[in-house]
Amino acid sequence: MRNRVLALLAIAAVLCAPVLFAQAPSGTKAFDAKAVDPETAIKAAAEAAKAANAAAAANWTPPRTAWGDPDLHGYWLTATYTPLQRPAELAGKPFYTEEEALAVFKKSVESDAEVDPRTVHYDWKEYGMDAWQSPVRPNRRTSLIFDPENGRLPPLTAEAQKRQADNRAAARARNPQVGVQTLANWYTRCITGNNAGPMTRGGNPGSDSAAGAAGVTAEAQIFQTPGYAVLIMQSNSDARIIPLDGRPHLPSNVRNWLGDSRGRWEGNTLVVETTNFVAPGTNFLGGTSGTKLIERFTLAGPNTLQYQFTLEDPSTWARPWSAETLMPRIDPPLYEFACHEQNYGLMNVVKGAQTREAEAEAKKK
Amino acid sequence: MRHQVIIIAAAAILLALAATPATAQAPAAGLFPGYTPPRTPDGKPNLNGIWQAFVTANWDVEAHPAQPGPHPEIMGAWGATPGGQSIVEGGVIPYKPEALAKKKENLEKRMAVKVTNDPHRYDSGETELQCYRTGVPRANYMPFPFQIFQTPSEILMVYEYKGAVRTIYMDPHREAPTDSWMGWSNGRWEGDTLVIDVTAQNDHTWFDRAGNFHSDALHVVERYTPISPYHMKYEATIEDPNVFTRPWKISFPLYRRVEENVQLVEFNCVPFVEELMYSPLGLYRPPSR
Amino acid sequence: MLVIASLFCAPVLVQAQAPSGTAIFKPTATDPETAIKAAAEAAKAAAAVSASNWTPPRTSWGDPDLQGFYLSLSYTPLERPPELAGKPFYTEQEAIAAFRKAVEEDAEVDPRTVHYDWKEYGMDAWQSPVRPNLRTSLIVDPPDGRIPALTPEAQKRRAAARERNPQVSVQTLDNLYTRCITGNQGPPRLPFNHDSESQILQTPGYVVMILQSNNDVRIIPLDGRAHLPQNVGLWLGDSRGRWEGNTLVVETTNFHRERNWRGSTDGMKLIERFTLVDPKTIRYEFTVNDPTTWVRPWSVESVLPRIEPPLYEFACHEQNYGLMNVVKGAQVREAERAARKN
Repeated sequence: MRNRVLALLAIAAVLCAPVLFAQAPSGTKAFDAKAVDPETAIKAAAEAAKAANAAAAANWTPPRTAWGDPDLHGYWLTATYTPLQRPAELAGKPFYTEEEALAVFKKSVESDAEVDPRTVHYDWKEYGMDAWQSPVRPNRRTSLIFDPENGRLPPLTAEAQKRQADNRAAARARNPQVGVQTLANWYTRCITGNNAGPMTRGGNPGSDSAAGAAGVTAEAQIFQTPGYAVLIMQSNSDARIIPLDGRPHLPSNVRNWLGDSRGRWEGNTLVVETTNFVAPGTNFLGGTSGTKLIERFTLAGPNTLQYQFTLEDPSTWARPWSAETLMPRIDPPLYEFACHEQNYGLMNVVKGAQTREAEAEAKKK
Repeated sequence: MRHQVIIIAAAAILLALAATPATAQAPAAGLFPGYTPPRTPDGKPNLNGIWQAFVTANWDVEAHPAQPGPHPEIMGAWGATPGGQSIVEGGVIPYKPEALAKKKENLEKRMAVKVTNDPHRYDSGETELQCYRTGVPRANYMPFPFQIFQTPSEILMVYEYKGAVRTIYMDPHREAPTDSWMGWSNGRWEGDTLVIDVTAQNDHTWFDRAGNFHSDALHVVERYTPISPYHMKYEATIEDPNVFTRPWKISFPLYRRVEENVQLVEFNCVPFVEELMYSPLGLYRPPSR
Repeated sequence: MLVIASLFCAPVLVQAQAPSGTAIFKPTATDPETAIKAAAEAAKAAAAVSASNWTPPRTSWGDPDLQGFYLSLSYTPLERPPELAGKPFYTEQEAIAAFRKAVEEDAEVDPRTVHYDWKEYGMDAWQSPVRPNLRTSLIVDPPDGRIPALTPEAQKRRAAARERNPQVSVQTLDNLYTRCITGNQGPPRLPFNHDSESQILQTPGYVVMILQSNNDVRIIPLDGRAHLPQNVGLWLGDSRGRWEGNTLVVETTNFHRERNWRGSTDGMKLIERFTLVDPKTIRYEFTVNDPTTWVRPWSVESVLPRIEPPLYEFACHEQNYGLMNVVKGAQVREAERAARKN
């Protein structure tokens, strides 16, 4: 039961990029002809954003589950064009006006939809995989980071500066891509997905890849039962089980790639604290495995989940920092992401690096 | 309604006690007083919790003696296979003759790891060895716990092995969009039994480490029936006209894990298999400089 | 002394621990004469009780109660000696005389060959409740008291085994006991080894037999369930039990392919019968049937005298110096032989 999509994906995988995707994203429905047109998408997104803001302004309260907790059930989009850090030219400007926000959004969408025939690997748009082909919305924030107030990561500690300089020097001294175990990319190795740790690291508008622009495979599902919340990310099918009964964390010698999560309710907000990470993930932005992640999930409207996260790592940042994004609701289902079971990309990345290294050696002689 | 249930349940227990002989005996296998499980808010049997099977089916679903494992010169007793009884009703899987030959070939080649960019690469040995998803029903008899999360519209099963996830669509049912490793599950209640129809599994997974296999025409129907507060009966009917002469059935109990603060502890085996899989391709080597 | 002894190890291994169940070492038990007298009286008393149609007590759920600790030791040979052909029974005096002879030989120690003197540890058979026996052989069927002939197939197997030197490496060492895979109590049990204490435990639906030798345990369900499938072979076989009157009948099949008990195959079928015939004695009978090995079945009758608890642990594999020395010794001898040839 192979289908055309998988065949095309196989071809794409051969022309691999460092960040790889093996399957179409779920939940973006059957290929909607309307969604092929950026203009229509921009209009729809603007309206959705307006409706969401109206609901938030009306002090909307979320429905409850049968056992009385706020009901966060559903499928949510983590994609955003908003960068994590405020660009230098926007220093001092935490918020756009509504018109500015829409203009920036339009620019991101158009750039995302555009494809440079000289460099394209394959056109995500054809598979409904550009972010604007999902309910991604404009954002009045100029950066996801809202604390510190300048919208930028706090300064590194001296220890972290040295650590990162040492890492960079070591990476320059050798080519980390020539062996699987030195490939410092858990995602490429299919150990964790893109939403491990904080569920987003912000968009990168103007990036030449949809992955960098807003984040593909950007769906997540929240499941609740009495005493538990479960987060399932489509990316790598990562699942995080969050007990809400106040039990202690695992002992510090027991480390998980997705960390060990504990949750509680503060009013209508689900607060999740995660520790015991094996190693720093890409979304840790330089933090170590000792990083503590605190996430806050609040239903801000019938179709909007407000997601805030704080990263704390005294050995890396002088102070904790926090970011916020709004996740639009999307339709089920979530597809399986069997990353490791067909990781041609990793093999090609490493083989390619080895070939280039051999060529470089040959040139030296 | 709840009170009626309690009275009926109490009566059933009294009758059951009256029926047992005067001397205390363990209940004979298969005989329990009629059990009515507690309900979820929407009135269905509550299957929430952490469950685990204690059979040796992951090594071999048919009866098997204990035996040395691969590389006994390194692995000693760690790598050995425990002996165990069959979970297959009737004892033996009804293979077609040519399929039985393929099963034997699988068994001989089960340690083969041949990872290439060749679309035929999945003919490379046992899937658990390489940390691939197990498919259904094997996920339920791995020697790892799994957790059930139950809501009216969907039931989620999260398996400690590889953090593999299945969503069972209760209401509405959904059609499988494509094949996958864990298949596509639609469920319904028949009395106090959860019945799950599993389709769209790819043909790469094996039922166990002993080479028992299927094609992508596999169709599995599972039944989960609570028997006591601490265990449920698990049954699965397996149908695959490409491989078997008729449908066949497995069954075994699933036990509730009741330790205080019990939780799944991540088993992400991908890092444990990279050397095995990528060394033969020369990809698992330290940098040259 | 044990260290020295293990250096001179024999194919039958020295146990590292004293036998359990022979009570506190009584000074009278060092004296063969007293032991012979006591044994003779015990035998007489036992015979009297069985003659009186004694019935065993019952467990609280109504099965005959065989529970307790029992020994498996006898000076009666398995097969009738050729000089006693046609004589299945001794008179009482002949039995005691034969017993005395066996005891005195056992107690005597040849300083030129002794490894160590079992007697000092209370480990000679006569230092336990072993008794004289009116029978001249343990085998009661065939009537000539001898093991039936081997089949031609079995003879071939045995010849092939002799061809090679089985002692030069662990995996060819044809001795499960030396390898600490199983103990030396079968099943079935032959009463010729020092580590032959055992315990019988009963619960509703089960009989459990614990053998001190290698701490082998046999769990015997009584509920009539089927044996394991044929492809599952076990070192101690797969046992199923039932009561016939006061006798526990145990049928055992599914022997491991490599068990090779006295040359037998995994097709061997064993039926054992345990009957408490007086408060201190289990009559133990067994029939062995393996058509690919012996031309006909054969049967044994023996006794298991009651002893006192406890059973000691027998951690055989955990300190198996003997195996290492046996194999190394055989390799040395083989090398010497090869050198002499050159």
